[in-house]
Amino acid sequence: MAAAAAGRGGRLALARRALGPLMWVAGLAVPIVLASSWVSILAIFAIYAVVALSQDIVLGRAGMYDMGHAVYFGVGAYVTAILNTRFHWPIFATWPVAIVVAAVIGVALSAPIVKLRGDYLLVATIGFNIIFVLAMSNDVFGLTGGPDGIFGVGVPHVLSLALSSQGALFYLDWLVLALVLLIMRNLERSRVGRVFRYLKEDELAATTLGVDARYYKILAFAIGAGLAGAAGTLFAVQLASVSPGSFVFTESVTLFAIVLVGGQASIPGVLLGTALMFVVPQVFRGLAQYRYFAFGIAMILVMVLRPQGIWPRRRSGP
Amino acid sequence: MSGAALLELHDIGISFGGLRAVDALSFAVDEGQIKGLIGPNGAGKTTVFNMVTGVYRPTDGRIRFAGEDITGRSPHRVAARGIMRTFQTIRLFAGMTVLENVLAGQHLRTRQTWWQSLLATPGQRREEAELVERTLATLERLDLADVANEVATALPYGMQRRVELARTLVADPKLLILDEPAAGLNDMESSALNDTIRGIRDAGVTVLLVEHDMNVVMNVTDSIVVINFGRKIAEGTPGEIQTHPAVVEAYLGQDDDEEVAT
Repeated sequence: MAAAAAGRGGRLALARRALGPLMWVAGLAVPIVLASSWVSILAIFAIYAVVALSQDIVLGRAGMYDMGHAVYFGVGAYVTAILNTRFHWPIFATWPVAIVVAAVIGVALSAPIVKLRGDYLLVATIGFNIIFVLAMSNDVFGLTGGPDGIFGVGVPHVLSLALSSQGALFYLDWLVLALVLLIMRNLERSRVGRVFRYLKEDELAATTLGVDARYYKILAFAIGAGLAGAAGTLFAVQLASVSPGSFVFTESVTLFAIVLVGGQASIPGVLLGTALMFVVPQVFRGLAQYRYFAFGIAMILVMVLRPQGIWPRRRSGP
Repeated sequence: MSGAALLELHDIGISFGGLRAVDALSFAVDEGQIKGLIGPNGAGKTTVFNMVTGVYRPTDGRIRFAGEDITGRSPHRVAARGIMRTFQTIRLFAGMTVLENVLAGQHLRTRQTWWQSLLATPGQRREEAELVERTLATLERLDLADVANEVATALPYGMQRRVELARTLVADPKLLILDEPAAGLNDMESSALNDTIRGIRDAGVTVLLVEHDMNVVMNVTDSIVVINFGRKIAEGTPGEIQTHPAVVEAYLGQDDDEEVAT
């Protein structure tokens, strides 16, 4: 009897462990089975999920109120668009540059402000976002195309094969999301991931144990910005264009809200938050203004009734 | 019993606005010693700790540790020299397990780089396994192994104190600074604490402690410094301190119901 129960329990655990990989395999069929509008919605979901997870590193894990995260997403998108359209670099060649430039800008912008207390840091990051959008709109380097942005971003090539279909981009975006999810999981079981949480919970205690708070806070920005930059490249390719409107302050607010509403430092929470904030509005496009009304109400209700988020982090050991 | 001076304070002082919290304070903690720092409430004991650990920068004077000037160094650099501390009000990482909390004490020993952390390289995984193993051994020593996977801040108060202690011990400090370790403990827990503190010293760690519980102070320390209004008023063995006129006056004149002797 007990053995049978244990056997059933074992099978159940096995089934649960197999569920994840099975869903990923099933996902391979999406571009074949679903209509192309759905394929592109799911592709965009993967891109925004990467950005939201990168926001979660800074906000949900390291505990810094970064409300200008769209800047790093935008930097990645603009770097790819500029290098591809003006200098004719292949998309994949622009990618590492997009990541590195976004990360370097993350370091440069965060270095002077990481010692600020939460609320002051938040206001400073809003300032960065406003300046970034202004700079892009005003075509400061003669490269960003002004308020209309840049059109005609090409498609990525693997050897001579062009990834031009929605299906091919879907696979690419989800492959990147899978890699970022692996990185997030690794972070949970690593010194860096733990230190971020120590700093969030009690910075003084962490520093008396030898943690260089400044270094790790800047590192959180660098990693978060680099991943957002990687998503920026995908975004430029997906839309075949970039414009300042995609990276405005309200986008940063949405990313911030995704992490809080979904669940800080919770991977399923952030994914669920992304789906609610970016995908559901796409699906209910017909309802126009009402969807924002519904979202506003939903955000308020979640914060009042469930301040830890819809799907909070599981509190268990590493 | 005691060797050369490990920690030396030379005429240190600090002012907050117009208030002179600590003034021209000098004393030394010898290697292998358990040194007590006592004084009436508001005498400046925790302020002294905060200056030694780099949380406050003294306005004057020098602090030397293991022959090196550490005055005004930031807390993480002081920690890296081998000084660890606990806090008067326990400071555990909320929502994290006992194991995760105590792993923090291994931070300085950890070698993995940030990119190894992100990529979970084989070397990184091996190191993580070693860190967990070492941490579990320390938890075992402090009778906390059973609660390793419990959320630390949900444990009873006395246990939380032990978790905080475990977090510093796992770092193998040269000097351990304990800020009122017996605060909030019952009689049984506080006499167990005496044994724990002696055990720590016997394992080669020098201890400096601030404590109100005279049972702890008089029983475990080798030497005591008494301060009042930020100044040293006496220094000596527990026996000498109990009968020292300036100490008796400071405590009785303070209208403090604390007894000097037990």
